[in-house]
Amino acid sequence: MISRRKFLQGVSAATLAGSFAHPLPTWPADDTSLTIPGKEELIVRSYRFLDLETPVEYFNSWLTPSNHFFVRNHMHEPSTLDPAEWKLSIGGEVDRPYTLTLAELSKIEKHSVVNTLECAGNGRAYHSPKVPGVQWQKGAVGTARFSGPRLRAVLERAGVKPTGKHVMFRGLDEVPGKVPPFIRSIPIEKATDADTLVATHMNNAVLAKHHGFPARALVSGWIGAASCKWLTEIKVLEREFEGNFMSPGYRMPNQPAKPGETVKPEDTHPVTGLNVKSLISSPSDSAILNSRTLNIQGVAWAGEADIVRVEVSADGGASWQDAQLAADRARYAWRLWNFKWKAPNSGDFVIAARATDSQGRTQPSAPVWNPSGYLNNSIDQVRIHVA
Amino acid sequence: MWHKFLTIVPVSLLLIPCLWTQSTHIPELPSGPMQAKATTACTECHETRIILQQRLSKAAWTKEVDKMVKWGAVVDPQDRDTLIDYLSANFGVDQKEYVADRSTSASGKRGTK
Repeated sequence: MISRRKFLQGVSAATLAGSFAHPLPTWPADDTSLTIPGKEELIVRSYRFLDLETPVEYFNSWLTPSNHFFVRNHMHEPSTLDPAEWKLSIGGEVDRPYTLTLAELSKIEKHSVVNTLECAGNGRAYHSPKVPGVQWQKGAVGTARFSGPRLRAVLERAGVKPTGKHVMFRGLDEVPGKVPPFIRSIPIEKATDADTLVATHMNNAVLAKHHGFPARALVSGWIGAASCKWLTEIKVLEREFEGNFMSPGYRMPNQPAKPGETVKPEDTHPVTGLNVKSLISSPSDSAILNSRTLNIQGVAWAGEADIVRVEVSADGGASWQDAQLAADRARYAWRLWNFKWKAPNSGDFVIAARATDSQGRTQPSAPVWNPSGYLNNSIDQVRIHVA
Repeated sequence: MWHKFLTIVPVSLLLIPCLWTQSTHIPELPSGPMQAKATTACTECHETRIILQQRLSKAAWTKEVDKMVKWGAVVDPQDRDTLIDYLSANFGVDQKEYVADRSTSASGKRGTK
């Protein structure tokens, strides 16, 4: 039986809530989990704006189910979005600016790309000293099959002028206060790549609102921020878009920075492709295991490069052995891997995984510190106890 | 008494049980001289979890507060330094790690930690 006092508190909250422009989260009674339709058991980094992280134990399938796929929003999601009213404008340095409806976009030939999408800030929480931003640990990453027209097909209809060197994306994110809008651009070479899409589908279903319905950019192999959601404008520019989320946002120091150091904007470059990286999905960190025979599993990806090797260490990095890569593969998608290991005795062990890619890149033993905490691809490890 | 009160509550307010329980689950900023002002200034645009998970030096908090003021956070200039002190004290580099909630879908399946 609810008390009158609690009831009044509820009324007060409801009255206040009426002044918010965006729906508020809800909680089941006697539970601290947060109800977010379509999103199951994700780690809530933030509700407003919505930032959800996937627990690593869900990285046990090649395609990440959409209900477990991470969400990274910089702003509020569009409060209203009518597919019948939605339009995508294409303009800037083109001969024939035009506008597409969703029905018209859907008539353009579709292409599919299985892509590992990772937030540039994934792993930010492990930097020392810590840096501001969403404190992602391991799970701001996932792999899905994205489908939609190639961006170059959309651009070709407009006729890109020789002066068009960059392509800007604007979404329908709702911007609070005086926050700069989330607008970014990519070079024309990447925009016209066969695997850069105006994606309308994810894992063979219409894009969910959290993932950019009705259309998003899909810039394969690049940081998630390149793949603008709720797309409404594509503009061809003569030069890189100038805005907060191109500079100072999403830039890395040209030279390694000392931890805590301030880096001048002119000494930085845009973050584009993803690093080589691997994660251990099983066993979990701090697991207590009754069997000495273990199947160590995980995923490994490398942005625009291919994974060629994953090694596992069961002695804290003193020695390494090759893991087996699973058969499922696509150019921009992660590889599942596994390694069968028998503990020599009961006790505590540190299991680590290290990937190497086709460009010869491998993973550092510790995070490479930078002021915004981007692209942390340090070797993943879990501590386990074998009984 | 309770039943008499219930009869005068507009019916529309009874149709929003989802909002009923949330007041106990929205994380609050820690008590302190700037709790109310920080809540007002920051949560206009984003919720408290974004603050609760930070572990920053005073220099880093100073940059963040100044950036947010530039982006529209309403902070009285005379409160700026006190706000930075409040954030540095409560979300400084030596504070223990923040533990995040888990989501559950609309199916009502219970989330786990």
